[in-house]
Amino acid sequence: MVKLLRNGWQMLNRGRGGLWFALLFVFVSPAFSASFTASLDRNTIVLGEPVTLTLKFEDGQPQGPLSLPVDGLRITSSPEQSISSVFSAGKQTTVYSYAVSLEATRVGEFVIPPFNIKMNGQTFSSQPLKLKVVASDPSAPPAGNAEKMAFLWVELPKTNLYINEPVVVEFRIYLRSDVRRYGDLQFSPDGNGLTFSKIAQGQQYQRRVGNATFTVVPLSVAITPVKTGTVSLNPINGSILLNGRDPMDIAGFFGPPTRPQRAPLTAERMDLQVSPLPEEHVPAGFNGVVGSYTMTVTAGPTNVVAGDPITLHVQISGHGALDTLSLPEQTGWDNFKTYPPTSKINASDPLGIEGSKAFEEIVTPQNSDIKVLPPVTFSFFNPEQKQYRTLTQPALPLIVRAATPGAMPAIAATHAENPPPAADVISIKQHIGTVAQISAPLVEQPWFLALQGVPALALLSCVILRKRKESLENNPRLRRQRQVAQLVQEGLEQLRIQASENQSVEFFATLFRLLQEQLGERLDLPASAITEAVIDERLRPGGVSEETLTSLHELFQTCNLARYAPVESGEEMAQIIPKLEMALNELREWKR
Amino acid sequence: MNSVNLQMNRWKWRFSHHTFFATAFSVLYCSIVLLLTTISGFTADASAGFDAANGLYEQGKFAEAASAYQQMIQSGTVSAAIYFNLGNASFKSGQVGRAIAAYRNAEKITPRDADVRANLQFVRGKVQNPSFSPSLGQRWIAVLTINEWAGLAAAVLWIWLALMAAVQLRPALKESLRTLLWCSGFATVLLSGCVGAAWSGNSTRTAIVIVQDAATHNGPLDEAPIGATVHDGAELSVLDTKNDWLQVRVDGGRIGWLKRDQVALASGM
Repeated sequence: MVKLLRNGWQMLNRGRGGLWFALLFVFVSPAFSASFTASLDRNTIVLGEPVTLTLKFEDGQPQGPLSLPVDGLRITSSPEQSISSVFSAGKQTTVYSYAVSLEATRVGEFVIPPFNIKMNGQTFSSQPLKLKVVASDPSAPPAGNAEKMAFLWVELPKTNLYINEPVVVEFRIYLRSDVRRYGDLQFSPDGNGLTFSKIAQGQQYQRRVGNATFTVVPLSVAITPVKTGTVSLNPINGSILLNGRDPMDIAGFFGPPTRPQRAPLTAERMDLQVSPLPEEHVPAGFNGVVGSYTMTVTAGPTNVVAGDPITLHVQISGHGALDTLSLPEQTGWDNFKTYPPTSKINASDPLGIEGSKAFEEIVTPQNSDIKVLPPVTFSFFNPEQKQYRTLTQPALPLIVRAATPGAMPAIAATHAENPPPAADVISIKQHIGTVAQISAPLVEQPWFLALQGVPALALLSCVILRKRKESLENNPRLRRQRQVAQLVQEGLEQLRIQASENQSVEFFATLFRLLQEQLGERLDLPASAITEAVIDERLRPGGVSEETLTSLHELFQTCNLARYAPVESGEEMAQIIPKLEMALNELREWKR
Repeated sequence: MNSVNLQMNRWKWRFSHHTFFATAFSVLYCSIVLLLTTISGFTADASAGFDAANGLYEQGKFAEAASAYQQMIQSGTVSAAIYFNLGNASFKSGQVGRAIAAYRNAEKITPRDADVRANLQFVRGKVQNPSFSPSLGQRWIAVLTINEWAGLAAAVLWIWLALMAAVQLRPALKESLRTLLWCSGFATVLLSGCVGAAWSGNSTRTAIVIVQDAATHNGPLDEAPIGATVHDGAELSVLDTKNDWLQVRVDGGRIGWLKRDQVALASGM
């Protein structure tokens, strides 16, 4: 529910020569733990290149317009909004992102001041953002690479590091302008004595190398040395698949054919010198954090009864390995019962080395003599300044009242409703019980999985049965064919019995009926309409063999003759059966 | 003469027939007796070992009792009671992490044993944070064991397919079974999702700290800076492994590397 005032900011931009954009929110979602970050996709650009500014709002939307005049920067695109939802640790977080493309009008170093926004009744500030605009790329690859369709160029900002100091390595994939598509990137940076973050792909941009124009696909990785001495980025032997043309591109379908080709992406080994942290002037409580940070501490409530919980919020913001950052053990908290802190990282870059980490710790004052919350200190080593820094939050005034007799502190009262905890473990078992192994779960047992196929097969059989039944119902000829086949089979059995029992009249009646049924089915006529005449009228023109026709004539005539001169001998009747069988078989094989 | 020969042949046939059956019966009988003797001997040995370990426990020799239970398990004699008692002996000898590992194994054999659950909960309460705490969804899935979820899902699947088969055989039933078909189909999909979630949880490896205090490192090297300290009994989900190191999630935002010999590995959360 966002309405963008595009014309508004364009006009303001022209009028004041600065950077303005405004967002009007009709609906503000209710949220309880909102946060806000601003980031640029790159910190250094060449004059004329665009850079993307992204504002992210978690669990909330800003109220009112945002504006930021920056001389020398201008917006070149309208804001693009995206909304995403993340479900993590049982909590759903909605992230609203707004991205605008900026362009510099001159060379220099720009600082975009913090955005101050109001969200859900609270004021949030972002980090100031630095952008360096240079006239030409200081790390441009040699002009000789202009001949290549694609190549890899590694940008390592520094090679002398301190242990645990993160640095962002940019792997730039240069794709010449005649490359239309690329894919199947085979590339995995590795190293010795280094840990790697996940790979983040940045915004693509254009660069000139020699006389050719290339599209640069930047892939960034944060590396952190975990041992001193010489550590190295291993050589890279990757590749990328280049397609000259998109097969789905109809407009390009009639152009010259192109063939996919694989281009190598290689880089040589790079060594880094890693220094240990200085051993002099190490502050007390230093726990190995390297980077550049600021700290804010808040606590509440500050007017409590002894034993009541107080929530301490410590937010550490800046640049460094946020995932491994932890609060050092604090001193001076002897009169408080402390609980392990929970933490949440709010990174402003995809590599997780810029942003803030918020710690939340529950502390409970144990007596009413306490007047302050002790100072919170956090020490780190700043590799740029090459010295240790200690941030200290002064003691916060606190009012702690004595607990009145009979009144239980909040936590204790909650616990009192639960049954009293057990004093010890339940004693050992005296019988060994059933000796059994720990077996794999049912879902990993082949027999169990196979068993689930049984009802599926049964259902499949039912479906096939039903389909066959339906097919038979919709095909009367097939149905008659099957009925006649069944009738003939039973009739032949009956003939054999009648022959063996010398039942002449019944025998020839059955014989005649079988001939009628089979011929009727083949000629698609009622059985009662079949006489000897159909042999010459219908079967002979249909191409039935002369031998079969003769045989059928004989059988009909035998039936007719038997009416007047019954055959008495069972043997004679039995001799007719094979002849009938042969004639019926040949009729069945006859194709009309 | 012929009659005598015939009788002799019949006698021989009867004799050979009787001999064959008698021999076969004897072999079968001996085999059964041998098998039963072996099993009873094995059970008797296992029971004797179990009683001896229990005796050590009753005398307060908890470490020795734990070793005795452990030896039984290593020799292939495994039961929920052995793991349960091993958990008790480990806990009493101050090895909280090993106790938790043993109770978890006992729980895998008898997931509904109230004693196992009670002791596991009790011992977990003694663990100093940080340790793994399941999310609401994970707690909900853990209401049933993975086998219970699988059995339930299979039963509903069978009912659903049986109803569909009935509709195929008697299309007239389609209207009257429509609601039941939809409900059972939906339940099958839902329960299959639960089975998937339970299986995913079951496939997760957990590292249980078995030393008093273990420092996590920022990388899989001894020289790597130290991060958080975890304590005996902490249950941490394993994210990655490298040589003799395990990358673990310490709490919500922190990860670190622990040495393999500082933890006992278990499957499931």
